[in-house]
Amino acid sequence: MALLELKNVTKNYNNECCALDNVSFSVDKGEFVSIIGPSGAGKSTLLRCINRMVEASSGEISVDGLISSSLSKKKLRKLRTKIGMIFQHYNLVDRLTVIENVLHGRLGYKSTLAGVLGRYSQEEKSQAYRIIEILGLNEQIYKRCDQLSGGQKQRVGIARALVQNPKIILCDEPIASLDPNASKIIMDHLGNISKEMGITIIVNLHQVEVALKYSDRIIGVNRGKVVFDGAPCDLTTRQIRDIYGSESEDLIIDLGERHAG
Amino acid sequence: MQFKELIVQETNNICEQLSSYEDRHTSFKELFLTKDTINFGPIKLLDRASIAMRTVILFLTVLTIYFFSTLDYQSIDVLKGFTDTFVNFKTMFLNPYAQRFTLGEAFYNVVVTLGLAFLTTLIGGIVALLLGLLAAQNLAPKQVTNLIKGFVAIIRAVPTILWVLIFAVAAGLGSAAAIIGMSFHSISYLTKAYSESFEDLDRSVIEALMASGANWWQIVFQAVIPSSVTYLLSWTFLRFEINFANAVAMGAAAGAGGIGFDLFMAGGFYFDLREVGFITYLIIAIAIALEVFSTNIKGKLQKSI
Ligand SMILES: Nc1ncnc2c1ncn2[C@@H]1O[C@H](COP(=O)(O)OP(=O)(O)O)[C@@H](O)[C@H]1O
Ligand SMILES: [Mg+2]
Repeated sequence: MALLELKNVTKNYNNECCALDNVSFSVDKGEFVSIIGPSGAGKSTLLRCINRMVEASSGEISVDGLISSSLSKKKLRKLRTKIGMIFQHYNLVDRLTVIENVLHGRLGYKSTLAGVLGRYSQEEKSQAYRIIEILGLNEQIYKRCDQLSGGQKQRVGIARALVQNPKIILCDEPIASLDPNASKIIMDHLGNISKEMGITIIVNLHQVEVALKYSDRIIGVNRGKVVFDGAPCDLTTRQIRDIYGSESEDLIIDLGERHAG
Repeated sequence: MQFKELIVQETNNICEQLSSYEDRHTSFKELFLTKDTINFGPIKLLDRASIAMRTVILFLTVLTIYFFSTLDYQSIDVLKGFTDTFVNFKTMFLNPYAQRFTLGEAFYNVVVTLGLAFLTTLIGGIVALLLGLLAAQNLAPKQVTNLIKGFVAIIRAVPTILWVLIFAVAAGLGSAAAIIGMSFHSISYLTKAYSESFEDLDRSVIEALMASGANWWQIVFQAVIPSSVTYLLSWTFLRFEINFANAVAMGAAAGAGGIGFDLFMAGGFYFDLREVGFITYLIIAIAIALEVFSTNIKGKLQKSI
């Protein structure tokens, strides 16, 4: 059975039609899926429906065999610990250190009191250290996050998600604020996470060429509808035009270069 | 490509123009002094704001002159009044001396006043911490924050002394009314200050933690409070200093005891100017000590965080 399954998911904000329109797909364990589409297409909404940061208007989402819309508050918390999330603007607590931010990923597993008091077990701490080391942040571990570069902040974001022991990591435009160098490092880490740890990665991207390079599968979204769902090699110029509409011209040039190169 | 060329061309044009200006006028200083070079359009000296300003100033001047010329001085010789006041100040501040109490007693009363300030700040801080969380827009629903913010704004609009007098109706003049009234005002002041400190943490950060399964209390204690703790402390210290000044005044006005009451007795009852001077110096010394203390602590905190 698939790890994540969406069936006819629809979302209307303020009764307007339709941020998401009848979206269905399923994702397996360890898959690396990119969601591409113009801005306003509904990519962020789609990701947020998966961990119920946004409530879908209708349809059914099941994660790891649990139908998420039916869960109680307590069970939803438990489900969310299984779903990591990283963001374009990192969303770290800037005035706290790297290790403190990473340990925040464990709060969902704790009772309210243990979390309030910040009682992290030795095991949790050593896991956090290990993950920080894998992401190459050992030198920054006690630095405040506002002293880090964008790429380093995003790696802290990844570490915070990984320390949750997630089955899925949702990434909402993780490289949109980064320079090409830092972007490559982040995407390489995400690629390794899906390959070596078997964690499913679902990433919203703006850049088609990055999606082509890293994904096992690409889902193209336009105006809330899935207009493409398949392997990167099946993505044609015509389909990019379908996904991006009038924005597509410069993107198609990139695709041409790929075929040439 | 074309765009780049266009920019280069445009930049060159501007440079040429500038250097030709320089040729003609030899320096930039002249460029700004000569009137015929660049026409910025008519400069309005009297726009609406400055007209309004001038009218107000003129009005106030006339009013002041009228006031002084029609003031009924009765039999007071103004010049003598000034010199007498000056002589009083001289006795007060150049010959301070405490007659009616020992230094130990004075110190004890200072401690009473400090205690009053400490207690009211503590009560205010604890209650305001809770209210501040509910008044912060990133932590509570909009209706709740508006309700609390409006409520504390009304409390804050009424001065501390008035609250003390209002509570004195029920509790009688004395330390109880002073504590309740001062705490009341401290709560509203600190609620506003705390909630604004909490709002410094972006809502999206809180949502990120929610998405990982953390709950509200965990986020408050692990993210919101730790990241605003320096602000919280510095607002609390500031309120403590305000409350010390208030406690002195309450000692005099509401009979709450402490050094303020001594000051009131020395000035209003015994007319002992030298003792007033002594107590004033004592209060100034304490205020300076508090200031130094809080600056030190804040400095240390900023270094450690
Ligand atoms: N909180 C919201 N309230 C109302 N409309 C929203 C909200 N969030 C997103 N939308 C609308 O939903 C559509 C999809 O937005 P979004 O999912 O953010 O797109 P993307 O991430 O692809 O840029 C847009 O038309 C946007 O205006
Ligand atoms: Mg988006």
